[in-house]
Order: sequence, then structure tokens, then C-alpha cells
Amino acid sequence: MKRRTFLTAAGAAFVGLQIPIRNALADDKVIRFAMPQDFTRVYTFVTVEYSQGQRDYISLVNAKGGINGYQIVADISDHGNDLPRALEAYERAKAQGAILVDPLSTPVARALVQRAAADKINLITAYSGRSDAADGETFPYVFPLSPNYWTQAGLLIDYFRQQDGDLKGKKICFVHIDTPFGKEPIPILEALAAKQGFSLQTFPYTPPGNDQSAIWPQVRRAKPDWVVFWGAAVGQTVALTEAIRNGIPMNRVASSVWLSESDMDVVGRAQATGVLKVEPCASGQSPKIIQDIIKTVIEPAKGAGDRAKVGTAYYNYGVMMAALMIEGVRKAFEKAPNGPISGDWLNAGLNAISNFDAEGLIPPTTVTNTDHQGGGQCRIARWDGSKFVPATDWFSANQDVVWGEIKKSSAEYKASGK
Amino acid sequence: MFYRRAGIRHTSYRSERRLWRLPFDRGLVVAVLIVLLILPLVVDRLYLVGYLLPWVIWSTAALGLNFLMGGAGQVHLGYGAIIAIGAYASAHAARFGVPFEIAMVAGGLASAVVGSAFGATALRVKGLYLAMATLAMQSIVDFVIIHVPAISGGGQATLRVPPARFLGIDLTEDVRSYYFVLLVGIVVTLFVLNVGRSSFGRALAAVREKDYAAAVIGVDSFRFKLLAFWVSSFIGGIVGALLAFCYYRAISPDQFHLDLSIQLVAMVIVGGLGSILGSFFGAALILFAPILLNQAVGALAVSSGLGISADLRAHLPLLLYGAMIMGFLLIEPLGLAKIYDNIRNYLLVWPFRHAPR
Repeated sequence: MKRRTFLTAAGAAFVGLQIPIRNALADDKVIRFAMPQDFTRVYTFVTVEYSQGQRDYISLVNAKGGINGYQIVADISDHGNDLPRALEAYERAKAQGAILVDPLSTPVARALVQRAAADKINLITAYSGRSDAADGETFPYVFPLSPNYWTQAGLLIDYFRQQDGDLKGKKICFVHIDTPFGKEPIPILEALAAKQGFSLQTFPYTPPGNDQSAIWPQVRRAKPDWVVFWGAAVGQTVALTEAIRNGIPMNRVASSVWLSESDMDVVGRAQATGVLKVEPCASGQSPKIIQDIIKTVIEPAKGAGDRAKVGTAYYNYGVMMAALMIEGVRKAFEKAPNGPISGDWLNAGLNAISNFDAEGLIPPTTVTNTDHQGGGQCRIARWDGSKFVPATDWFSANQDVVWGEIKKSSAEYKASGK
Repeated sequence: MFYRRAGIRHTSYRSERRLWRLPFDRGLVVAVLIVLLILPLVVDRLYLVGYLLPWVIWSTAALGLNFLMGGAGQVHLGYGAIIAIGAYASAHAARFGVPFEIAMVAGGLASAVVGSAFGATALRVKGLYLAMATLAMQSIVDFVIIHVPAISGGGQATLRVPPARFLGIDLTEDVRSYYFVLLVGIVVTLFVLNVGRSSFGRALAAVREKDYAAAVIGVDSFRFKLLAFWVSSFIGGIVGALLAFCYYRAISPDQFHLDLSIQLVAMVIVGGLGSILGSFFGAALILFAPILLNQAVGALAVSSGLGISADLRAHLPLLLYGAMIMGFLLIEPLGLAKIYDNIRNYLLVWPFRHAPR
């Protein structure tokens, strides 16, 4: 009998869980964002801080009365980078009336591209997903809203050029994780090498990259003028540790946006002094928007997480993305104050973001129907032993080469699937 | 009461050898089938795309793997790679303009060829060594897909599949996809059920129990092991085509990594090694327990008003999930199907404790 009671109870619990799904639709004056992200598997190195930043910014907006009297609801869940789970989360978000989904995972974003287009739900693919999604004509409902990896590589090369005056005859080593993500910048680097006359040597390491000891002595022997390392999570800290061990000068070593304060704790804050990274938004607590969050959200103890993480690089990425999404909502209200609130409605708003700098947190960003990257501006920052300090102002470079690659790839996408 | 046996006399070999000998079992199968047929028409799209569709696809995959692991006793840790080969082969065939019906079979054949080629080399070893050999296969296939842009689909490593039509029916819509997947699932289930009572199935069982002993009684164990690899890989390839055309509609290498293989092995073991019903139970548990636990913990976090941190909220379901799997295996090491079987056995003789001899 006990077994049967147990089974009945389990069945009842299962049914009970399924019922409340459509309740939220009844609430008015609410705009729903779905943020199913990977808190447990692959993207753990970024998700907690990123999500904390997003939620704190949304709390700030809501505390100030929301947008046009509408409150923003951020629906956070864990998809564990597992596609069936992510698809379930996406369908659930859609059923609940979400008009924007931010999965922060490349595999998930890739799998959702077609569904989002068919369902007219805005898919945010910040620092993830397809790089060619910057082409808004081919991907009207996909918004990277952040410099893609091609742009980041182009910016680094331009920074090297600014430092050395001319890259002719120089040698640049590209150490990367041996996955599609790691190999992505190579076409841009090759194109720039041909154009600017530097020589490029690539060194792939096997994923996940926790052993790179065979690669870095080869890099040292190549005597490079500049080294770019490209990976994520553990691969980044191991690469940096090996670079230090092989005596490669830190001020000639650079990476993408995937370098954070906590990576520096792993490598050793002092030892890593001088390393360069691409910064899509200001880090630290000084930007006005972060100060506002501290005053309005963190101090009344309404913060979404550990206070020590406020102002870290990835926290600020989260604030940056939330700020862009909400600027999209604001613009959507400007265009159609009476709604109706829908994916289409927000799409028009996101495409109308112009010269938005989130009170100094991000470079002036303009999104159009054709450019979903937002202009491709960043700055290069240098680790000074305790924080990342900007080494340049916001700038954009080599966008002609980058857009050539974007157009080529999006044309391939268009041609396929027929 | 249930599963009534009284008054049922088998008067012919035909009736004795039916798949389901008790009328109640037959009724149950028909009832489940009717529910599965009606559900997509009454439930929300969320439940169709989020639950039913993946459940049927993963169950079919688990059936294929269970055929090899439970039926022939050969461990396979690279079934995700087999599915990948089927998915990529069928997607590329369809992009060349091959009709979907043929592309799907081509996917199955490609998987069967590669799967049994690896099987043949791997079959010189047994047990844990075979596990390692199949694991190597997983890595090799992953590596090849990632490093040949012609297979993976260029720099973005995503391959869009063309819209599929099966016998003139458009499969791009989710309800039709579901019915098609269900049809394939039923065919595979019936096949696996029937193999169990054929000489092939009995030979596999002999090989599974002890291959020397099987050889002594005249069963060519190498041949049957290879055949088991062939059949199981063929099913895996078909599942790959289903995944590509009816569920993901755009495939990338990360969908078929070791995670998928491990997930499938977990489904087979938790469901019940060698059990057909278990494949369905195992797939349901492994696919949906994390989702439902996540929702339960999330709802609890919201309704209780406790400030559970995002980290804990994400990891607590994982702890519960792990505990749940251990719990099920402690209660019944033979898997979920055995739990069902226990209930069935109990009801078979209810209200008595056991059947009179």
C-alpha cells in the first residue's frame, strides 16, 4: 500500500507542477524576459556573475518604476547547456509570453535561431551564438548586441598595429582551443596577415585545455612579437599560466573578452600584470550605472548575489546586456506607446537603439535593421595587478574585413536549409 | 483483479507466442497508444515540443542502445557518435537533393557501416576494454566532424537541414514531426520485441550470458556480436536522422558529444538493462527529472520567499537528481522496468501474496 500511496503522491505532484504555467499571462503591465542560462555545466565561469548583473540592473529599473509603468520580469532558470532542456525552457518562456530570450550559450543559441525567427521572439546571443548573426537582414530576430569574435580579433590586431606602428614582418602567434569557437577568428587573422604583412602561426590545444604544456614551449621558440590566446574557462587560466612559465612578456599577450578578475586570482594577480584583453564595457564600480545599482539595489540588500562580485568584468557584461535590452524596450515604447507588447514590438525597439552609452558604461552603440552587432566598438584593457585599466579609448577597426566574413557566412546560411 | 489470467487458455502456438498474452496487457498497450496519439491534439505546444517529442526520440535511441547493451551484452560508450553519423549523413544526403525517406535510411546505413567497422575492431576486446574502445570511437568521430568543415558545415559549424517531406507529408510542423517520430518509435519497438523471440534474439542472449558457452553450442559469437552492432547502429543512425529533421532542424557537433552517450547509457541502466519498457521509463526519467526538479526548486524558492542564491537554486536540483537516481537503483537495481514488473507481479495474484503452485 505504501508504494501505491507514494506513486499517487508522485503523480499528483507532477500534475500540480504543470498547472500554473499560464497564470503569468493574466498579469498586466509586465514585460517578460526569459533567461534560461547554464549555471551548472559549461558556462559556469561566466553565468553567475553575468546573471547577477542582469538581475541587479533590472531590479534598478523596476525600483525606479519600470518603463512606462511596466515592470520587467526576468525569468531565470538553468538549462545546463543541454539542448532538450533548453528547448523546453524556450517553449515554456514562449507559452508564458516572454518576448526576449537570452540563453548565453553557443549551442543553445544555434539551435534556437530558426525557432526564434519562426516564433518572432528576440534571441539575445551576447558573446555567443553565430558570429554572422550581426547581419540583421538574414537574422532579423537574433541580436548579439556585442562585438563578435571576428571584431574582437580585428581590434586586437589593430591595437598591435597602433603600438608597433607597422606590423610588416612581425610575427603573431594565435593559441586557441581546438573547437569551432577557437578556430573562428582564424579567417580574419589570415585576411589581416595578408593585408598588413605580418606572419601568423596558429597553435591549437585540445579541449578543454587543462593541459597546454606541449604548446607553449613551441610558442616561445617561435619568438612571437605578439601572442593572442583564445579559449574559455579553464583553458584561459592554463594558457596564461603557461605563458608566464615560458617567460613570454605579459605586455605582449592578449585575449578576447573572456578574461576576468577571478581568472587573475587563479593565475596570480601579480604575475599576470600587463596582460591585455578586449573590453566591451567598462569594468569596476566607478561607472555611474554601477553606482546607481549599489545605491538603489545593493545597499537595501536587494542584490541578486554576492556583493563582492559587483563591478567585476562579467557582472558588468550582464549589466551592459540588460541595459541594452531595456533601452530596446524604451525605444519600443517611443515607437508604439500602446503596444501591443510582442516580440515584433520589441524587435522594432531593439533595432532603433541609437548612440546609447548606458551613462558611460559602454561605447556609444547604434543598432539598425542591418547591424545587430551595435557598431563593433570596444577598448583594449590592461591588467595592472589589481584591476583592468583601459589602454585605449573606445574604438572600432577592421570592420570591412569583419563584415566581409559576416556577409559570406550569412549568405551560406541563407543558401542552406532549402 | 488487474492482469487477470483466469480463464485464459492458449489453444494454439500462435496465441501462446503472442507479444502480449494477457488481454489486460494488450488493452494497456492500446490505451497508451491512444493517449500518445491524442495528446498532441489536446496539450499545449510546450508539452509537445518540450516533452513528448524528445521523449519518443530518446526512447527510440535507448531502445537501440539497449538492444546492444542489454540484448547482446556489449558495452557502448560511443552511441552519441553513432547518432551523429546518422544525423550528418542524412542531412548531407538531403542537401544533395535525396528524398528524405532515402536520406533517413542512408543515415542509418552510414551509422551501421561505421558502427560495425568499429565494432569489428573493438570486438577483439571485452567488458571494460570494449567500453574504452567505443569511447575512443566517440572521440574520433567528434574530432572528424569538427575538423572537416565539409561535414560540420563551415566556420559556424552548424548545418541547417532542408525541410523534410515523408511520403508527401510535410514534416516541418511539430505535430506532424511528432506523429512521424512516434511511427518510427513504434516500428523500432515492435522490431526489438520480435527479435527477442527469434533465433537471432536467442543467439544474442546466449552470447550475452557467456560467449564461450555460446560458441560451444554452435553460435558464432563474433558474427552475432557484429550483427548486434550493425542493428543497433542502424537504429542509432535512424534516430540521428529524426533528431536532425524532426527536432533540432539545425545540427552542430556539440549536440552529439560524450554527454549524449553517457545520457543514453544512463537511460538504459536506470530504465533496466535489456528491458524494452525500461528504455521508455529511463528516457523519461533522465530527460525530465532535471527539468521538473528545477521547476520545483524554482517554484519553492519563489513561493517560500527565501533568498536562495542563483547558484544554490541551480545546483540543488542536481543534488536531488543524483540522489533520485541512486535511490531508484538502490530500491531496484534492475531498473525502473523491474519496479513496474514488481507491481505487475503483485497485482497478478492480488489479493494473494503469491501465486499458488
